[in-house]
Amino acid sequence: MVHPLRDKAAVSGIGETAYTRGTTKSGLALQLEASLKALDDAGIHPRDVDGVIPYFPGGAIAEDFIANLGLKDLTLSAFIPMGGATCTAAIQMAAMAVTTGVCKHVLISVGRTGYSGSRVSTRLQQFPVFAQAAEFEAPIGMFAPAQLYAQGARRHMELYGTTARQFAEVAVVTRQHAILNGNVVMNKPLTVEDHHASRMISDPFRLFDCSLESDGGAAVIVSATERAKDLRKPLVTIAGVAEGHPDSPASIAQRPDILEFGLVKSAPRAYAMAGVGPKDIDVAEIYDCFTFTVIRQLEILGFCKTGEGGPFVMDGRIALGGELPINTHGGLLSQGHVVGLNHVIELTRQLRGEAGKAQVKDAETGLVTGYGDMGDGSIAILRRAA
Amino acid sequence: MSQAPAPAAPPAPERPLPTPTRESQTYWDGMREGRFLLQYCSSCGRVRHYPRPVCPHCFSMESEFREAPLGGSLHAWTVCHHPFNFFFKASAPYIVALVDMDAGVRVNAQLHGIPESELKIGRRVKLGFEPVNKEVTLPVFVAE
Repeated sequence: MVHPLRDKAAVSGIGETAYTRGTTKSGLALQLEASLKALDDAGIHPRDVDGVIPYFPGGAIAEDFIANLGLKDLTLSAFIPMGGATCTAAIQMAAMAVTTGVCKHVLISVGRTGYSGSRVSTRLQQFPVFAQAAEFEAPIGMFAPAQLYAQGARRHMELYGTTARQFAEVAVVTRQHAILNGNVVMNKPLTVEDHHASRMISDPFRLFDCSLESDGGAAVIVSATERAKDLRKPLVTIAGVAEGHPDSPASIAQRPDILEFGLVKSAPRAYAMAGVGPKDIDVAEIYDCFTFTVIRQLEILGFCKTGEGGPFVMDGRIALGGELPINTHGGLLSQGHVVGLNHVIELTRQLRGEAGKAQVKDAETGLVTGYGDMGDGSIAILRRAA
Repeated sequence: MSQAPAPAAPPAPERPLPTPTRESQTYWDGMREGRFLLQYCSSCGRVRHYPRPVCPHCFSMESEFREAPLGGSLHAWTVCHHPFNFFFKASAPYIVALVDMDAGVRVNAQLHGIPESELKIGRRVKLGFEPVNKEVTLPVFVAE
């Protein structure tokens, strides 16, 4: 049986601000600026938005959208507290809302002052899921994601021989793609030597294995496919979408396998919903909070076997022109950190044929992942309408 | 010309400390007494960590804390160089080891006395106790 959500909803509008280090704007203003751009991109009047899913905790609540956009009858207001998995998980909720008729157009937005506002260790104290880490791990000197996720990366290296050279490849290729995009924080070439010479943050993660602390806003509109057909831009449908939560979700330490993320559960569901497999994917925007996180997700997504993610990223395979181009916009590592909503935006551009110098030729089907909050994993498979 | 007053020294950074919950208080009390107390289900007998109200295997809400063995083997580790919390700046770099305890749970704690070059998965270590003030003692790993 065809899944009732397959292709029934679409990404109808996308918008983003400049990605910078330093801004005088609030997180709310950044979200609203991106939202207005996304509405204009879709050709939707702001008053026609009837669902909002702002990033939590991102400095905006549904009431802000009612007040600023003059929304007259909001029918859905939700937060999805899944850290980096939030934005792609929000695609699932939005698709459910527009497919069932609860909403016409759902706005998903992120506004972040990760550089000019509070930094990661402070922000995380607002996350309920970090309560156990705060009690049991912060006192021993481990709380930031770079520390919490480093143990898994080290274990992968020890078990499978994954190397820092392979981590560097992810960083270098991502930077090449960022330079083609232009709206990025990091716009200078990066070499393997630069990566290896960057300071150690939490072994095995060096500075250039880590995503950026940056400022910026991003927004996406999800509409029913029936409505989106008549909107401004080429139709990009949501073929499959899913969220997944790992066992022992709030404590990596107690997880039976510390290398099993929520994506282990969500990826098979999304592929089945879309009726496609890894071989059908033309381009992939993989949540890249850390270089290693990309390598491990490529394994979980079935592009290679567990343990083979390191060799998989080498030899140009993940670069534009390669077998599986990834993070064609520069990702969180080089473009900017808006919790992966920039990945959804880039995939939509690729499938519309609007990706400029980074365009993957004839991209028809692509996927985007989210990863966060200790390992929640979300995935959306989008495709260009035939 | 008058000299600008010297800036006041910034307050010394404080170590983040656990805030025990009703569920975890006994675990931390044990630490303070130098005992590794783990929570066991009173119904099916299985251990669970971190402490929580319901046994995820049999859903019993009855449990008891018992002293558990201190040995374990290394599951993974990281060497923390960047002090995300300034308290740890003076002691960085330090090793945080994730250990498969013989008791059947994992514990994360700093590892003292074993150089990074000697770390490998499966290496035996032992849990010890490091008082940080009158109320709080933290686990620490040392060579077995």
